[in-house]
Amino acid sequence: MQVGRALALALIGLAALFVTAPGPALAQPVDTGNVVGELHSARAAVAPGERFTILLRTQIREGWHTYWRNPGDSGEATDLAWTAPPGFEVGPLQWPAPEPAPFANIVNFGYHGEILYPIEVTAPANAPVGQNASFSADAYWLVCADICIPEQGTLTLNIPVEAQGRDDPVWAPRAEQAIAALPRPAPGVSAVISAGAPARLSVAIADLGDVRNPHFFTYDRDVMAHSEPQHPRVGDAGMSFTIPAGIAENIGEAPIEGVITFEERRDGVWTHRAIEIAAQPGSALSGTDARAAAFTDDYALAELEYQPGGEAAGGGAALTPMALIAALGLALLAGLVLNIMPCVLPVLSVKALAFAHGSQTGNARRHGVLFLLGVMATFLALAGLLIALRAGGEALGWGFQLQTPWVISALALLFFVIGLNLLGVFEFGAGLQNVGGDLAGKGGDTGAFFTGALAVVAATPCTAPFMSGAVGAVLTQSAPVTMLIFAFLALGFALPLTLLHFAPGLQRLIPKPGPWMDKFKNVLAFPMLATAALLAWVLAEQTGSAGALALMLLALAIAFAFFVARWGRVWMAVGAIVIAITGVVSWRPLVGAESVQALASEPWSSERVAALQADGQAVFVNFTAAWCVTCKVNEGAALSSQRVAQAFADEDIAYLKGDWTNRDDAIAAALAEHGRAGVPLYLFYPAGGGSPEVLPQLLTEGLILDVIAGGSQ
Amino acid sequence: MTNTTKRTMFIGAAVIAAGAIAASAFLMGGDAVASIETGGPAPAFSVQDASGQTRTLSEFAGQTVVLEWTNYGCPYVVRHYSSGSMQAMQQEATADGVVWLQVISSAPGEQGHLDGPGALARVQTDNAHPTATLLDPTGVMGRAYGARNTPQVFVINGEGQVVYQGAIDNRPTARASAAEGATNYVRAALDDMEAGRPVQTATTTPYGCTVKYAD
Repeated sequence: MQVGRALALALIGLAALFVTAPGPALAQPVDTGNVVGELHSARAAVAPGERFTILLRTQIREGWHTYWRNPGDSGEATDLAWTAPPGFEVGPLQWPAPEPAPFANIVNFGYHGEILYPIEVTAPANAPVGQNASFSADAYWLVCADICIPEQGTLTLNIPVEAQGRDDPVWAPRAEQAIAALPRPAPGVSAVISAGAPARLSVAIADLGDVRNPHFFTYDRDVMAHSEPQHPRVGDAGMSFTIPAGIAENIGEAPIEGVITFEERRDGVWTHRAIEIAAQPGSALSGTDARAAAFTDDYALAELEYQPGGEAAGGGAALTPMALIAALGLALLAGLVLNIMPCVLPVLSVKALAFAHGSQTGNARRHGVLFLLGVMATFLALAGLLIALRAGGEALGWGFQLQTPWVISALALLFFVIGLNLLGVFEFGAGLQNVGGDLAGKGGDTGAFFTGALAVVAATPCTAPFMSGAVGAVLTQSAPVTMLIFAFLALGFALPLTLLHFAPGLQRLIPKPGPWMDKFKNVLAFPMLATAALLAWVLAEQTGSAGALALMLLALAIAFAFFVARWGRVWMAVGAIVIAITGVVSWRPLVGAESVQALASEPWSSERVAALQADGQAVFVNFTAAWCVTCKVNEGAALSSQRVAQAFADEDIAYLKGDWTNRDDAIAAALAEHGRAGVPLYLFYPAGGGSPEVLPQLLTEGLILDVIAGGSQ
Repeated sequence: MTNTTKRTMFIGAAVIAAGAIAASAFLMGGDAVASIETGGPAPAFSVQDASGQTRTLSEFAGQTVVLEWTNYGCPYVVRHYSSGSMQAMQQEATADGVVWLQVISSAPGEQGHLDGPGALARVQTDNAHPTATLLDPTGVMGRAYGARNTPQVFVINGEGQVVYQGAIDNRPTARASAAEGATNYVRAALDDMEAGRPVQTATTTPYGCTVKYAD
């Protein structure tokens, strides 16, 4: 047995020898607090002269993140400082595709979870075989959750140098994957940056599948703003992005480099792609902006890119049959629920009044069906319009109708007129009846249909705040599925009233007609007028005070016209003329038309005037106020004229505005100084100093030009 | 179409009311951080300083004002204070008659938030030399200026115009070692102003931590 024991010992010794000999590449994970970092070699052993990959592997604590080479609006890139064995060349950290991380009002670029950074290393031809190559790297990373912590650690790696290199069974394939996933320039990809306001980056990509969630990450922190939407668009030949200017001023004129990331669908599977691009200035590439890009709900920048509505766009996963049935059921339920919402209930009430009148007895069932059809057709038309517009590239969400000033204006006027009608200011006379006669004449058939239609048009915006999320999700489905879901929504919406048509038993629940109906009607007027008031505020938000004023003038004209129309045809004509004139004067802000480019002004102060005068500049001062009609007339006409703007530019005249809308003692004093107790007051300080010339309160273009030219008096 | 039907339609239309308004409120929501133009007017402010005094921009009319957004817990701020370079800059500037205002926009419960006594104590601890430390726990002032990072600096001239905004220097790192040989943009801007020159580097991209605003 002695021999056996000796043999065993020898074997153990031999085994020990193998273990202590230059073993497989060794790495020690280093925990810096919120990140565990380690180095791994793709090669278990390297041969002299070989080029191989070292991986920096970081595992970031859940909820924390580190940063890409350009960290975005805050943060800092991970960094390694190497100490390598003699002769070994260590390349730079290669950055995997970043993820955008929006936080409050900023956007950062970085990583979470496990990240592998490949680093290319070349062994020298004279690397001593049989020894370990010892690498050490001082790692620095800023790791952030809601707060940031700079963390550091020293990572080490020993790799045996052998005559014949060999792969590490674990890290060689992982390195291969990591390298394959790196953003690289891709064949068939070209990029152009086009100047403009804003600048636009267009990227042509050959053989592109369906795309969603595209984003451009620039390498340079200064070149562009990171926290603004890029409004990506896609076309058959590629995609394009708005490049909001950063602090660098030559955006669009200088080359720009970075990475685009997106998901692409091939054979029904979505995969992430990241391509490095270097865009040269030039004209936008065609076929890259056919339609707005789609985003998924879980995409980090979906909210940023869809600021107006906050809804996600197309590209959602297709529904399974069960999910579809469930969605249809929910849509039906949602439609029913819409009926009892405070904004829809009045529709039902008034329709119910019709039954109380008994006016619906004859064709009740047919009217019920027509009402349903009206609801259905209108719902589908709206949904179809929305789908079509989105397909056309508009980044729209539910409620898109309300982003247009003219729609808001029309609604406000409609509510105002309804209010007047409900208050009994006017009744619809024979003349007006004829106007609508074509639609309503056929014994109420068409009327029932259009009641449904109008109820939907009216009620749809009401659904916006409550259903935007659901509708947004619905819109990610294919067009037929979307339409089907909307159809069920319409069915649910129309169901109660339609049933009322069919069930005389239900109709009996409605109270007997009587004077209460007139009171009820009058009371309903006030919510209408309140609505008009609030819509006017919305319009004011959209178009400024000019829009609100135009709306009120038009409302006044309409009220006048309706009021006098009952006195006969002549008065009706007068009313029509008043509306027409008011419309001609005030239509611009109501449709959201940009008013003629106003002169750029800066706020008035006596110090500013003195400073400008000291520089020898001519100064035009306009003391104005929002409530001053003369001021607004002057600003809307004479002061908005192209020739005046040109003259101001030619003569280098500074335009200062003193806004006296709110109490301001300095302006009051300045007015008093020129013998005025109120606005408007127009002063022209000629170039080269001197006292100002006081202009008349009513300005004309010619007058201003004369004064500027020094030719008045 | 009967009058009743017509009325139905109208009231149906009226129904939009609440919905339209609610929707519009949705569309117009959001409390964006405005970014302000270099060369443009500095937004007015009225906030309490650490000693409880109300401070406004207008009280410093005619003087150069430096606004320094700070958060003592932010490693980037720590870098500038632990090396003493921020304090030195504050001391130099205030000695030259510049008004130096630290601004703390961290919301209560967030990193860097300090109440008045806390902020005064912090100035002591850091041996800092600001003219005053402004407390902006609601973030109103920070948002008006579009302050994004700590540290971030705005320099305002006597006419109330922003003449510099951005980073302290050209080393966007929290590592103290990297500060060597850095170009200090704030000092350069103040030097330009003192020499009567336009500020040469007037806008830079700020770096550092995010300002810990109230939600």
